[in-house]
Amino acid sequence: MSNLVALHNNAHQSLKVNTQLAEAQGGNLHMIPVVLSEFLKLAVQFPIVLTKNKDTGRFSCITLFGFQTNENLFVKNGEWDSLYIPLQIRRQPFFLGNSSDVENEFVICIDTDHKSLQSDIGEQVFDTTGKETPYLENIKAILAELMNGEASTENFVKTLAELNLLQPMRLEITFKNEDSMRVDGLYTINEDRLKTLEIEAITQLHQKNYLSSIYTMITSVGHIYGLIERKNKQLSGN
Amino acid sequence: MNTAIKSIVIVGGGTAGWITAGRIAAKHKSNTSAGIKVTLIESPTINIIGVGEGTWPTMRTTLMKMGISETEFMRECDATFKQGAKFAKWVDGTPNDFYYHPLMLPQGFNKVDLPPYWQTEFSHQSFSDAVCFQEQVCEHGLAPKLITTAEYASVANYAYHLNAGKFATFLQKHCVNKLGVNHILGDVIQINSAENGDIKSVTTAQQGEIFGDLFIDCTGFSSLLLGEHLAVPFVDRSDVLFIDTAIAAQVPYEQEDAPIASHTISTGQAAGWIWDIGLIHRRGTGYVYSSKHTSHDEAEQTLRDYIGPAAKDLNFRKIPIQSGHRKLFWKNNCVAVGLSAGFLEPLEASAIVLVELSAEMIAEQLPACREVMDITAKRFNETFLYRWDRIVDFLKLHYILSKRSDNSFWSDNRNPETIPESLQELMQLWRYRSPGNQDFTSNNEVFPAASYQYVLYGMGFKMDASLIAHTLDAKHLAAEQISQNAATIKKALNMLPTNRELMKKIHEFGFASV
Repeated sequence: MSNLVALHNNAHQSLKVNTQLAEAQGGNLHMIPVVLSEFLKLAVQFPIVLTKNKDTGRFSCITLFGFQTNENLFVKNGEWDSLYIPLQIRRQPFFLGNSSDVENEFVICIDTDHKSLQSDIGEQVFDTTGKETPYLENIKAILAELMNGEASTENFVKTLAELNLLQPMRLEITFKNEDSMRVDGLYTINEDRLKTLEIEAITQLHQKNYLSSIYTMITSVGHIYGLIERKNKQLSGN
Repeated sequence: MNTAIKSIVIVGGGTAGWITAGRIAAKHKSNTSAGIKVTLIESPTINIIGVGEGTWPTMRTTLMKMGISETEFMRECDATFKQGAKFAKWVDGTPNDFYYHPLMLPQGFNKVDLPPYWQTEFSHQSFSDAVCFQEQVCEHGLAPKLITTAEYASVANYAYHLNAGKFATFLQKHCVNKLGVNHILGDVIQINSAENGDIKSVTTAQQGEIFGDLFIDCTGFSSLLLGEHLAVPFVDRSDVLFIDTAIAAQVPYEQEDAPIASHTISTGQAAGWIWDIGLIHRRGTGYVYSSKHTSHDEAEQTLRDYIGPAAKDLNFRKIPIQSGHRKLFWKNNCVAVGLSAGFLEPLEASAIVLVELSAEMIAEQLPACREVMDITAKRFNETFLYRWDRIVDFLKLHYILSKRSDNSFWSDNRNPETIPESLQELMQLWRYRSPGNQDFTSNNEVFPAASYQYVLYGMGFKMDASLIAHTLDAKHLAAEQISQNAATIKKALNMLPTNRELMKKIHEFGFASV
């Protein structure tokens, strides 16, 4: 269940967030949307690929944590086993909502039923005078990065689709226990197309500073093998 | 010295003209200086017929080969999905009388011949429902794919319904802007011959004389080049197929978001049948009938009754149909595509598919020079005479198994003297076994054996399998196919959006190309 309300220093003055529990909530996600600005950090360990929104058919950039619904191979016993934790995880339990007073303005909201708010320990959101703590300032920065990032990532993806630079990924994986699995619905950069791209299109990608992101995505796909390795370890009980 | 084919002139700017122009221009790089020049002459004064609204799944390949985006095509031509045809009231005319001819093979078609097993074990279910999941998809008004499915890819095989007028305009734009087709507005007033009987040029009222190495006649029923100028005779097929008139009306939806049928509905009537095709903003309907079996007034009333109260404010358009085709389709340096080559009747949407097949063969097998053109022409004629004959057989099949007796239209159709011998022979074979790929062995088949199965068993045809009983050892495998089909039905109904829902999404978001 969730109960979504706007954050307010009066109503939420004593609010504490157990950050470990907040992040552990992502333990049942097998993918999450990501933004361009975090590509380099993600690419250290995670595959960055694309998937289609099932209602609109439009592409979005995601990172993979597992191969099926509810499987997150990066969270073990409620803790993230990774060098970097994606912004969409770190923002929990906060998010941006539309202001009810001012049009086109956003306010920070919180899910008051979130597990991370139910414990006595954790980061204070406001100090005793009702002032924002450095913790909340950091959360605000994350939310701002996500909001700006969503728009720029959407433009990036749109350009890739327009230039026919995307192709479906066909994954046929056989795990250690002989279980095979076909993973559908993921897309990546079409390298053959990229190699033969017209000079005007390359210039366009360069001017928009998309080239490095494209190559980061291509490199990151190799982490699928890391993910298989994690799954195999899990299967053999390590 | 050889006379290379460097310039092709197409006369006529309807569906046939533009599909042919597009396929040739795309294949032969008309937008480059090294490519073959394609000129299309369209009359500014003659309107296109524009009632051909049903296609085959082949249209997906045709559009793809021309480099057209499916999203753009669907948006601009009011196109919707077609997953086959529902034949209502063809068997006995009672309210529950219907069967489907879906666009997919029976489940496990290449593993086991289902009809004999279906007939003895599963005939409590209709044949098409027992062996193909598409019937239920259509009955529920569902689309053949999802918004996440790539352009031209499918969950269930599909063709299109489209607005023929908008389609011609859409193709024109694409052919001219992207494929390098030279578009000339002019009325052809004279056809000029060379010494060997070839067409040297055509003279237009507005643009003067236009020369070409190959002329393609897409002038519709008038068959200006092949029929009139080159005097290739017309082969009348109305002795087999009796339909000779259509009366058509466009029916608006009652509400803007009314469901859109995802199949053609073909409903048997006293002297013919009514087509009903759902586009985005309206339905296209029409009664095709035999004027020997009903009067025009009666026919119009029949269509009005079918449409209901909405018919009051509609325009009804009468179109004469001459069932038949030219004796040859390619003579000298002139080939006819579309209505100029022939037309039978709209049943099973064979008109546009013949245009596609003709355009494909011309584009793919274009003679390099005049010296080899007669060989190509001979092969083209053999191929298409065979195709027209097979289509005549298959269309006739729909009529001969009917039990209707409300009008002599139906009993006359059952008269053996009106049934081609080739079809009669097949019908005799099928008394003892089901139609199979062995019955249709040419490379040029139009309708596969599965289509014959759907119509035969849909119409209630019974085979006597007792003489092949010793070969029927796949009972288990057959049962497996039937239950697998049932499982697929469940899955499909769960996953597919309604046709209308998907149409909205196509217009709002579009499909991705992958």
